[in-house]
Amino acid sequence: MIDRHIHEARARLLSRRWFFSDCGLGLAGIAAGAIAARESVAGLAPPSPLAVKPPHYAPKAKRVVYMFQAGAPSHLELFDWKPELAKNDGKLPPADLLQGYRAAFINPNSALLGPKYTFQPYGKAGVEMSELVPHIGGIADDICLIRSMQTDAVNHAPAQILMNTGSQQFGRPSFGAWTLYGLGSEAEDLPGFVVLTSAKGTSGGASNYGSGFLPTSYGGIPLRGSGDPVLYLSNPKGIDREAQRASLDTLNRLNDMALGRFGDPEIASRIQAYELAYKLQESAPELMNLANEPKETLARYGITDPSQPGYARNCLLARRLLERGVRFVQLFHEAWDQHGNLKAGVKQNCADTQQASAALVSDLKERGLLDDTIVIWGGEFGRTPMVQGGNDGRDHHNRAFSMWLAGGGIKAGHVHGKTDDFGFNVVENPVHVHDLNATLLHLLGFDHTKLTYRFQGRDYRLTDVHGHLVKGILA
Amino acid sequence: MTHGTVNARGSAWSVSAAIAAALLAAPVAGQTPAEGPSFTRDIKSILSNRCVRCHGPDPEGRAGGGDEGLRLDTFVGATADLGGHAAIVPGKPDESALIARITSTDPDVVMPPPDAGERLSEKQGDLLKRWIAAGATYEPHWAYVRPKRPLVPVVKDSAWPKNEIDRFILAKLEAEGLTPQPEADRTALARRLALDLTGLPMAPEEIDTFVADASPDAVEKFVDRLLVHDGYGEHQARQWLDLARYADSAGYADDPPRTIWGWRDWVVRAFDANMPFDEFTIKQIAGDLLPNATLDDTIATAFHRNTLTNNEGGTIDEEFRTVAVIDRVNTTMSTWMGSTMACAQCHDHKYDPLSQKEYFQLYAILNNTADADHKDESPVVGIPWEPVDTRRGAIKREIAEIEAGIPALAKPAPADRPEPPEFQPARKLIDDLRGKLAATPAMTVPVLAELTGDKRRVTKIQLRGNWQNLGDEVTEGVPGAFHPAPVNAGQGVDRLALAKWLVDPANPLTARVIVNRIWERLFGIGMVSTSEEFGSQGELPSHPELLDWLASELVARNWDLKAIQRLIVTSAAYRQTSKCPPELVARDPENRLVACGPRVRLPAEVIRDQALAASGLLSRKKGGPSVHPPQPDIGLSAAFGGGLDWTTSTGEDRYRRAVYTTWRRSNPYPSMATFDAPSREVCTIRRPRTNTPLQALVTMNDPAYVEAAQALARRMISEGGSTTADRALRGFRLVLARQPVAAEIDRLVRLHDDALADFQESPEDARKMATDPLGPPPVDLAANLGDLAAWTVVANVILNLDEAFMCP
Repeated sequence: MIDRHIHEARARLLSRRWFFSDCGLGLAGIAAGAIAARESVAGLAPPSPLAVKPPHYAPKAKRVVYMFQAGAPSHLELFDWKPELAKNDGKLPPADLLQGYRAAFINPNSALLGPKYTFQPYGKAGVEMSELVPHIGGIADDICLIRSMQTDAVNHAPAQILMNTGSQQFGRPSFGAWTLYGLGSEAEDLPGFVVLTSAKGTSGGASNYGSGFLPTSYGGIPLRGSGDPVLYLSNPKGIDREAQRASLDTLNRLNDMALGRFGDPEIASRIQAYELAYKLQESAPELMNLANEPKETLARYGITDPSQPGYARNCLLARRLLERGVRFVQLFHEAWDQHGNLKAGVKQNCADTQQASAALVSDLKERGLLDDTIVIWGGEFGRTPMVQGGNDGRDHHNRAFSMWLAGGGIKAGHVHGKTDDFGFNVVENPVHVHDLNATLLHLLGFDHTKLTYRFQGRDYRLTDVHGHLVKGILA
Repeated sequence: MTHGTVNARGSAWSVSAAIAAALLAAPVAGQTPAEGPSFTRDIKSILSNRCVRCHGPDPEGRAGGGDEGLRLDTFVGATADLGGHAAIVPGKPDESALIARITSTDPDVVMPPPDAGERLSEKQGDLLKRWIAAGATYEPHWAYVRPKRPLVPVVKDSAWPKNEIDRFILAKLEAEGLTPQPEADRTALARRLALDLTGLPMAPEEIDTFVADASPDAVEKFVDRLLVHDGYGEHQARQWLDLARYADSAGYADDPPRTIWGWRDWVVRAFDANMPFDEFTIKQIAGDLLPNATLDDTIATAFHRNTLTNNEGGTIDEEFRTVAVIDRVNTTMSTWMGSTMACAQCHDHKYDPLSQKEYFQLYAILNNTADADHKDESPVVGIPWEPVDTRRGAIKREIAEIEAGIPALAKPAPADRPEPPEFQPARKLIDDLRGKLAATPAMTVPVLAELTGDKRRVTKIQLRGNWQNLGDEVTEGVPGAFHPAPVNAGQGVDRLALAKWLVDPANPLTARVIVNRIWERLFGIGMVSTSEEFGSQGELPSHPELLDWLASELVARNWDLKAIQRLIVTSAAYRQTSKCPPELVARDPENRLVACGPRVRLPAEVIRDQALAASGLLSRKKGGPSVHPPQPDIGLSAAFGGGLDWTTSTGEDRYRRAVYTTWRRSNPYPSMATFDAPSREVCTIRRPRTNTPLQALVTMNDPAYVEAAQALARRMISEGGSTTADRALRGFRLVLARQPVAAEIDRLVRLHDDALADFQESPEDARKMATDPLGPPPVDLAANLGDLAAWTVVANVILNLDEAFMCP
């Protein structure tokens, strides 16, 4: 009747059958050679919710790195060159432009503000981008720049949640969670969905990467920049790895006895979970330790001190995570909310991020990972062509903004969509958030209308009841 | 078939059929297996899952047939003349277009169309044919028909049943050729009962007394003690807080603190006092509208003030007030009637008899309260809270004394001229006191208050669920498919009428939903496994007659929740051992037939409370403002400024029951969230029960759990006797209650001895493991730090045993 329940029941049924046909084995070997425990109980446990699953059809990409530029970067300073806007600096916008428009804070009838930076063509394709993003210019032929993004929300939290979960309401699963739910995880001893944060915390908070009503195993796990990278990763004080192993051996042995007594496959799952936790205690610090990364690599990302947290370090960590089989990595850098201090703020943000963002793409490419990885760069909305506060700020703007993509199945060296002379409205090939998400799911091998989860009597999906495939950005 | 998850592939269906057959082998109420296909059991799910999406109640999406489109969800629609033919001709499958369509091999003719998924199976086709041949009788959806109290079945084994519940369970087992499992041993039963009813472990001595009690009603007496246990209400409240989406923060981006714990305490008190569920309902939905409403009645209405408020700059209050009212409609219908209404916010329900208009008629009932997404959470009521009231009283007295001495100080300092210099010290003092008074606000709770007169809002249908795109005006009302609301002629349906309607004995759902939820908590899965959905998209009950019997029993016993719990936990069905023979597990993996006892993972709160209780750290202080037990610095406060800082509570507040932990929606207490506690942004009917490596990290390494292990170690030494084996035994029993087998004690003793040898070589490690964060041991504890550290290692292992996480 409801597929999910059937699937769960079947999984349990099959695992129990397996278990009871082989339970004569016992697990006495665990105590002696605990490293083998995971393998020896693997067959007994019900399938992990993170087991690798095939998508609906052959995918173009199998992993995702999403560089979320929270706070909403100004498309007008970065990716969408508007000479007319420059010419009309200080003048009022044409009246017909503003019909039915709702700004977050400003009086919409404020003067136009010309772009603060100049643009130049980059790459063989000659894509116009800002002087502030020369490194992104350097990968212009690898990326697809979308200048016609649109969203529904004009405030940070709902807009971030919409971008990441397909809904302005809190409590829905994030894109990363849907991806894990659909594909499972290939990472042996790391979480399948990892979150890295720099600058200040995001407005949308944990809902940006949460599991919503999906099981919690699908939610993003934030790796912390300092201290334990995963909560409670460190042994209790006074306990070294060997001592932890001894505890674990005793625990496994006793749990093995319980397995014999109750015959409950969940016990085998628990033994496995503890072994995975033990592995994570080693693999997570190993991941975070950049001591063995060559100097050239650090320089390429613009990392001066690899022990210091920050966006550039997060980009390199993202590559290391993807290399280790992590399905979905999401970076959050909330710093782009330039209501004022636009000129200096955007420049600083580019100095902090643009080199590393580009380095991640080219590094993945050199390692042969870009072909089946989707790279996404973008924030929750754009900024108004009208000025806010004096002559150096822009308000929130949901009608038009820019994002860029690269990697598996994406049309490289391509610009999609177009805005009007002021970067205010989209005039060609609009791409709504839902369209973007539908297309990203397509690249991962999913029909976005069929990747659903039954909750409160409804089949929910990332794209709600919306979303159209954007064929124009597909390779 | 819905499109479900990506996992559900064709092969699932053969298994699903097997499970469905196992579940439904015994007759659904009113049917016997010999009668051919039953609409409810066999036909409805086929139509509902494969046909009704395009041939159902929603006129917008309806296809086929004449001008109005074809409906297959009603007899009239399915048999309508479509110009010389009909989809269904009762008694005549060969003349029924439906059969021709589903069996056609022409892709342009076959139904469901090829792009809507697989063909109907031969078995499904055969069921439909036989059903049409037998007259194509439609039955209303079972859950929308008021339950009739069924007769208690006759069983062959009259010795096993202890009460009526067992006769229903056994009748089905006998029909399946199964026998129940023996009763769990007394110790396991004691731990199960204590954890299920109070959420707290029981001292081994108390358990031993129960085990030694040879009287025939020993279990009943034991249960009765637990039902009046001081921890009962706190534990029962926990699930209600999930339903009510209770939290100590307002939600959205800022997620600022919210003071609403007074309502949480009201819920705990109500469960402790066994408030009848109808009264419990009426007070929470409309306590403010009761004649002579007391302060408590008003506090109860904070149930619906647990909705989110948005304080982000630039947001429009009305937009988020609308969101809150929608949440109240959905939460009300989910919590009481197991009905998901979310679909009807945007369009007529595709499967159940609920139109978008009716959705907004419910909305209208809840649309006239004074709260409006205000930052100050108004309206609120003041509640007594002794520590604050005492402080305020003292400050007020001081102010009054000064004012009595110098009356001029009662007024603010005059702005136009300086006060006499001799006033200055007293003026400063009184200003300070007034500042202190303002900084010590009386405790409040946000509540519902009905708008009157011209302040009342008009409700209009929100087209496609958009609050700015409004359609026709609607008046207050309940959905027409259900019993009418209890109002006098000409009177509108207000919140009080809605509340009474929810617990009207004529309500077909509420009692069923409540007993099913109680059952789910005790057995791990409800008789209706989709406890959030009793509508036609939900699953059929495993024991429909038992469900109805219990529902009618709840109403007959005046909604006495403790009585229903007592009935269930004293049944032979509940008392069975959870050691389940393999062939039974293979046959019924989810234990839907209840052929053995439940074995269910404990909720997050109980896992934590158990560790604190077993170690002796748990505070039994009840009620009051939420507390901040230790949690890692997650570095969020810096981003949002003050107000969110987590200053760890000191003294006993560090060790309060989990239900008192401050719940921040944007960052729920991490160790409990890891064990599936929800963020409480929306109503949660059913938590998932996951089993993950991150949980292992919590209970192995979280300093809060290490602290519990340290305290447990000290108890093992001080209470366990002098031998290593006896001390290990003490720790084992404090957590798991049962007597260990020799091999278990041997392993723990070995772990202790090995650890001790290591710690003797590294005294600094020993000191840390034994005392950080708990602090130095009491001076009279006869153990060195190495020994304490070694026992802490053992205690940590005991608290991490699989059995420690499971209700036995």
